[in-house]
Amino acid sequence: MLRRTLLPLAAVLLALWLWLGATPSDGPVVRTALVMGTLVEIKAYGADPNRLDTAITEAFAEMARLEQLFSAHLEQSEIRQLSAARGVRTVSSEVAELLILGQMVARRSQGAFDMGLGRLVALWDLQSESPKVPSGEQIGAALRGTGPESLTINGQQVKKTDPALQLDLGGIAKGYAVDRAVAVLRQAGVKSAAVNAGGDIRLLGDRLGEDWRIGIQHPRKAGEVMATIALRDRSVVTSGDYERFFEQDGRRYHHLLDPRTGYPARGCQSVTVIAGDAALADALATAAFVLGPRAGLALLERMTDVEGFVITDDGQRLVTTGLDGQLQWF
Amino acid sequence: MTSSVDKSLELEQVRQRVFLALFIALAIAVHAIEFLLPSPLPWFRVGLANILTVTALFLYGAQAAWTVTLTRILVGALLLGTLFSPGFFLSLSGGLLATVLMTGLYGCLPTRIGPVGVSLVGALGHASGQLLMAWLLIIRHPSVWLMLPYFLLFSFISGLLNGLAASYLLEFLLKHPAFAQLKTARAGRLRIKSHTRNPL
Amino acid sequence: MVLGPLLERMTGADRMVALLAGLVVVLSFFLPLQSGPGGRVVVSVENRTVFTAPLDQPRDFSVEGPLGTTHMQIDAGEVRITDSPCPQKICLGLGALGKKGGLLACVPNRVVVNLAGEAVETDYDLLSR
Repeated sequence: MLRRTLLPLAAVLLALWLWLGATPSDGPVVRTALVMGTLVEIKAYGADPNRLDTAITEAFAEMARLEQLFSAHLEQSEIRQLSAARGVRTVSSEVAELLILGQMVARRSQGAFDMGLGRLVALWDLQSESPKVPSGEQIGAALRGTGPESLTINGQQVKKTDPALQLDLGGIAKGYAVDRAVAVLRQAGVKSAAVNAGGDIRLLGDRLGEDWRIGIQHPRKAGEVMATIALRDRSVVTSGDYERFFEQDGRRYHHLLDPRTGYPARGCQSVTVIAGDAALADALATAAFVLGPRAGLALLERMTDVEGFVITDDGQRLVTTGLDGQLQWF
Repeated sequence: MTSSVDKSLELEQVRQRVFLALFIALAIAVHAIEFLLPSPLPWFRVGLANILTVTALFLYGAQAAWTVTLTRILVGALLLGTLFSPGFFLSLSGGLLATVLMTGLYGCLPTRIGPVGVSLVGALGHASGQLLMAWLLIIRHPSVWLMLPYFLLFSFISGLLNGLAASYLLEFLLKHPAFAQLKTARAGRLRIKSHTRNPL
Repeated sequence: MVLGPLLERMTGADRMVALLAGLVVVLSFFLPLQSGPGGRVVVSVENRTVFTAPLDQPRDFSVEGPLGTTHMQIDAGEVRITDSPCPQKICLGLGALGKKGGLLACVPNRVVVNLAGEAVETDYDLLSR
């Protein structure tokens, strides 16, 4: 009788021990850093916290390195040098890769996405203490020479059609850096992680065997979530008119500038794009926002393996067909 | 050559096994029904199956109580398909701690303790054991222990009620002729050992 | 009522056990179990932790960044930025950080505020904004 009770008991304890060993109940390693002018949070799950920490350090280092290449503020950045250059210039493979992707989005969006708006961005200067609306002549001058064909890219050889063109990779560089950070994490053997650069999110694997739950910021209620969606191994980027803006004479002037007019794009409050990589999602979110609700949604529908939704200026929600029913609204 | 005393002992042992099997079957059924019933709070369960463990403890001793508890948990989990799930370990750790406390209390005060006292410590042990396992396995967060007082309060009440039920059940069973042998043993406060081990 | 038969069926030892168990239940309500989940505010400047404090103790404090002093306040289990030398004061509009989790940051002054400990409860793991 004793043996009959002890044996199952021992078996159960053994199973318990195995089960405990197989599922580490460790929390994630989470670190934040200020990179590329924004707050970047990297969260990684795994059995060995020290290894995760090392991997995260490497990922942050990679993002800091890319900032040195892409920044429009740092004197010695490749983008600044390219902006200053006349004639053909050889760029690093990273910059070339990014410019080619950006040009693809620029063409697919009929110029709604533009990497040549450096002068226009500087003119609006939303980062300054007291930004104001520039004059029509100033805007016209700042738009000269822009457009999808303003860059000729041939391998790593880049040529600006107009030597005065100033590059600004604001709508794509952050996403690209997130992609690179995830690549570094993956290379370091991390299986489950998320990189969130001020709302540009890329997910690596799942979270403890489940989908990651992504909250989408409400465009008009600060700190509130408008919707959530469950995803894994995807990127999510939201562009909204609430991120950087000022108000003058009762109008909101935000940072998502329309290259066709030189003024902040009208029609949307926010656009969220879900895609394989964050750089593409980042560029498409900007492009769709600039195009406006209907044309923006149509652009997202046209792209393969891309989903998203638009919040119009009157608060309407337009969702791509592939995403319908997957969002949980609040 | 078998004496009549040997025969009656053998009969009593068979009877004990049959009744134990019945108790286990009942415990599993009650366990399953309680699992399947919608509960307002997922973690709060009355633990009706413990009535049968207490009854077995008073009729047949500590070993019988262990058999009922462990078999109920294992077979119940097999039946409900929850084997090795977190819920299974919760009920296992609750059951282990409850039975340790119940058999311990019964062993310490065999002549003085009644079903209500035993059921009460069992219920408190069950709640604490479950919470301990929940903390170890699932949430690993100190706020789990915030629920401890409510768990204990709830199990205090359910423990008393289960004990009362076990008391009625014991009274009813001991009236039945099948337990006539045990009735004599009840004079020794339900210690079955006194007559199985020393039948002559 | 069940109390009558219950008392009738309890032996002396049962009553002692019930009394002790009742005492345990009552005492458990007064255990200092709440000490665990209190989160901590962690403030870093230039990616270096410079200040940390428990979230459940109200206080005002400030940290030095490259642009000057950022003032913060912990009150009612929430932390918020109350004054900042940055040009646009976006950080002041970010609101408070409490049990719902998240991050506060004044990017120009390189100040980041987050919560340590797993005291946070949210419907989502990450926020896209």
